Formats: sequence, C-alpha cells, structure tokens
Amino acid sequence: MTHERFRTLLAACIVVVFVALIGMMVALSNPDPVDSNRYLALNVEETGASNRVAGIYLNYRLLDTLLEVLVFSVAVLGVRHYLQHSEGIQLSSLSESEVVQTAVSFLTPLALLLCAFFAIFGHISPGGGFAAGVIAASGLLYVAIAHGMKAMEARLNPWRLARIEKAILLILLAFVLAPIALGKSPLSDLLPKGTPGELLSGGSILIYNVLIGMKVFLGAWLVIAAFAQHRGEL
Amino acid sequence: MGTTIAIILFGMGVLGLVLRRDLVIKLLALGLVNGASILFLVSIGDRAGAKAPIQLVGETAIVADPLPQALVLSAIVVNFAILALALVFVMILVERYHTTDSTRVEQEVTREIDEEKTPCL
Repeated sequence: MTHERFRTLLAACIVVVFVALIGMMVALSNPDPVDSNRYLALNVEETGASNRVAGIYLNYRLLDTLLEVLVFSVAVLGVRHYLQHSEGIQLSSLSESEVVQTAVSFLTPLALLLCAFFAIFGHISPGGGFAAGVIAASGLLYVAIAHGMKAMEARLNPWRLARIEKAILLILLAFVLAPIALGKSPLSDLLPKGTPGELLSGGSILIYNVLIGMKVFLGAWLVIAAFAQHRGEL
Repeated sequence: MGTTIAIILFGMGVLGLVLRRDLVIKLLALGLVNGASILFLVSIGDRAGAKAPIQLVGETAIVADPLPQALVLSAIVVNFAILALALVFVMILVERYHTTDSTRVEQEVTREIDEEKTPCL
C-alpha cells in the first residue's frame, strides 16, 4: 500500500512540476507579432516555397526531417521484425457487405487523388509528404476492410513493398548527398528556387514531398499489414 | 485557451501513464500526452487574427508562427513510431504472460529471472 501511495505522490509531483514549468514558460514569453522572427521575415524569399511550414521542415531543417524519416523506417522495421514469427497464420477472407464495397470503390480513388495532390502541391498549399502518405494508406485500409486482408495480400506482396520502401529511403539519402559530388555542401539545394506560388518552385521541396509521401504510404501500410497478418484479419 | 487545455490533457496523460496498471491504457495515456504537446505547440504559435502560414513574397498579413507547426510534424511521426512499436512489445508480453497488468508482468519476469530462465525480449 505504501508503494502505491508513493507512486501516486510521485505522479502528482511530476504533474505539478511540469504544469508549473509550462505555465511559467507561457506566462513569461511575450511574442511580438510585429517584430517577427527570421523565419517569418525571410522564409518565402529564401526557400521559394509559399507554404512556410514546408519551407522550414524541408529546407532549413532538412536534416531533422531526414532523421524523422529514419525513425519512421526503424519503427516499421521493428514492427515487422517482432511480428515476423506469426507469418504462418492463415489470413481470413472475411469481406464486408456490398454496400461497404461500393462505398469503398468511391472513397479509395478519392484518397489516392488527395494523396497525390497533397504530395505534389505540398509546397504551395496545405499538405506535405507525411499527410499524403497517411491518407493513401488509409485509402488502402478501406479496401482491406471491404474485401478482406487475404485479397489485399494476394495483390500487394509485403516483401516487395518493404523492398520498395527501403529503395525510396536510399533514393532520399542519395538526393541529399548528391550536392557533395558537385562540390557543394550536403543538404544544399540543387534545383532553382523559382517564383513562390508556382508549381515548379521551392527547389527540391516538391521532390522531397513526393518521396516522403511514397515512403510514409508504404511504411504505414506495412505496419497495418503486419498487425493484420499477426491477427489473421483486420 | 489552447495552452490551458493542452496543459490539463498533459497532466491527465502523465497521471494515467504512472498510475494505471494496464499496459494498453498506459499506451493510450502516452498518446494523450503526445496529443497535448502537439496542441500546446500549435497554440503557442498562434496569434490574434493570424492566418495560415501560406503566403507569397511581399504579403504582409499576420500569419501563425510556422516554426512550432514544423516541429509538430516530427512529433506526430515519432508518436506514430513509438505507439506502433510499443504496441508490438505489449502484444509479445501478453502472448507470453497472458496479462496486460504491468505489476503482474513485472512479478512474472522477476520470478523467471530468479528461476534463471531467460525472460522474453
């Protein structure tokens, strides 16, 4: 019982300290909307992307985003590795009613179209690679729910998808390291900035968005497929 | 407003993480903590009357600070990675010990170590 009470006390202390710290941080900081920081002042000119967020995470902080993609890949690898031993389980061919199947045949193309739009126009409108990938993976999830996991597995071989996923990661790394071959520093942008607001602007951001979109799409689908494989159904 | 809600949610998440014994509930609490930090970051980047940070050169309308929003992207992806991996570990523990109670899992593992068996993971 004392152990229990100690735990409660500890939890309460942690929460109070964190809340106090965050409260202090919010109360003491006083951002001035007129005197903006450097990101707000020069961001669009420097990156060529009218979506300022994309300009930050795919230009100024590209290294951080790359490591984020690596974290994601490691997670996908880990999930697949630890669920590997269940691969003998027979997938069930459960499928939903015709109503669901018809609805899905409308929804999935829409999801894939949205994915393409978010990835390609991520630097000039809301969107980006990560969101695009997750949308496409949920589109595939609809199909898997409607037609059963067995039918999906027959069409999309997880082994091949995993290979494509790793190939995309390598292409991404090669693209980042390519400037070294031309005598520039790594992570620097080789493509022209263009006019902000046009499709071909923002340097390499468009390419990064498309590659990250494909990567996240395959990765998220592989995680879903690994869990479904483990359970035998979705 | 956003920050207040975020801090409350954060506190609830940490309490759940420490006090609840069920491993799945712990993961849900972790998700709540992450959601709270995302909400916090987005709301400190906001300003009164600010628009979305999508602008052309020369436009001077007040926009939300894009830096916390870029940070949030990393937070979401890392959260997804952590939750997926942690869920797999919980599944392995449940398969081996047939319980999601963290105290009972701990007892079983201690017993196995005492009996000099190799515990899982």
